[in-house]
Amino acid sequence: MFRSGLARSASFARNLAVPNNCKCIAGVRFMSKHSTESDVEFDARYESFFNRKDIDGWECRKAMNDLSGMDLVPEPRIVIAALNACRRLNDIALAIRFLETVKDKCGGKAEIFPYILQEIRPTLNQLGLSTPEELGYDKPELALKSVYDL
Amino acid sequence: CIRPLILEAIRHLQLCRRKANVIKLSYYLFELGMANNLVRCAAQQTKARITPVISQIRTAHDHAHEHHAVGDPVKIVIGNREIVGFGMNGQPNYIDRVDFPLPAIRYKEVTPDIQVLKEKEKGDWSKLTIEEKKALYRASFCQTFAEMKAPTGEWKSLLGFTLIGCSFAMWIYIWMKKFVYAPLPDTFTPEKQQAQLERMLNMQIGPIEGLASKYDYEKGRWKE
Repeated sequence: MFRSGLARSASFARNLAVPNNCKCIAGVRFMSKHSTESDVEFDARYESFFNRKDIDGWECRKAMNDLSGMDLVPEPRIVIAALNACRRLNDIALAIRFLETVKDKCGGKAEIFPYILQEIRPTLNQLGLSTPEELGYDKPELALKSVYDL
Repeated sequence: CIRPLILEAIRHLQLCRRKANVIKLSYYLFELGMANNLVRCAAQQTKARITPVISQIRTAHDHAHEHHAVGDPVKIVIGNREIVGFGMNGQPNYIDRVDFPLPAIRYKEVTPDIQVLKEKEKGDWSKLTIEEKKALYRASFCQTFAEMKAPTGEWKSLLGFTLIGCSFAMWIYIWMKKFVYAPLPDTFTPEKQQAQLERMLNMQIGPIEGLASKYDYEKGRWKE
């Protein structure tokens, strides 16, 4: 009974700590927005989060939405880990959407996304993923009537 | 007949304790199950000792949800769509935003042909054709990023309406000048203005830095 209680509290604690599930909390406090976490630690945290074997759609989407809200372009290792997570979730639409997100985060600078594409190309080939350009989604395909014109 | 449902709901809640919104969803499902179960129980039970309890619970339930008689409110709104995430605010809604790319529900409802594609999605993705990948994307999302960010051309109508407004304002001024304002006094004629200027020079108005300082009184003409 004690062991099952311990196991349950451990899994509960693990669930509470999502996505901050590295052993030492690397300076991310909830008081001010000045984080003492370094870039490498940040990358490692998100990469290990996406690489969790038991990740599910909710957590994956939560992490991707958080990344798209931050003022950064995700490192290729984070992108690769996220695409592998999509593969485990059997959700190709999520993977393509995430690639579109990364491209959008690169902003107007034209040299960032080709670099990321080049780094993740082996993963794309291995998973059989198409980039949005290959699907023809770099240009608008369908038009949506504005709600103000209905 | 109520007890197994309660146990099942508790088990469901335990499995989903990480996700606050699924708890909310399971509460709705629990209530739905409760409502269905109570209807069945009320129909079947004839024993006097149970009926008062059921009727008490039922009135409490009905009192809590007077505005809909049957049906899970979430399912009424979203239909057959799969809830896949927390979304922006925890509600099962869909929105296309470039800064929040993954909404809480898939865009399209689950239909048999989409189900076929989803089964194929579980296999190797390189076996999917381009059309199938596009169909799977459109099943989950309404607009692509390119479509979200595409220019609408709204600026043309804005500029047009603004200029129409400006020209209308000018027409109003013309009408005011013609029909509202009194005519200018006769001191505005060129001869009278000339006479006023001569008088100002005679009075030496602005002798240091103003009008008279620019007039050469010895030579009787303006300074160079």
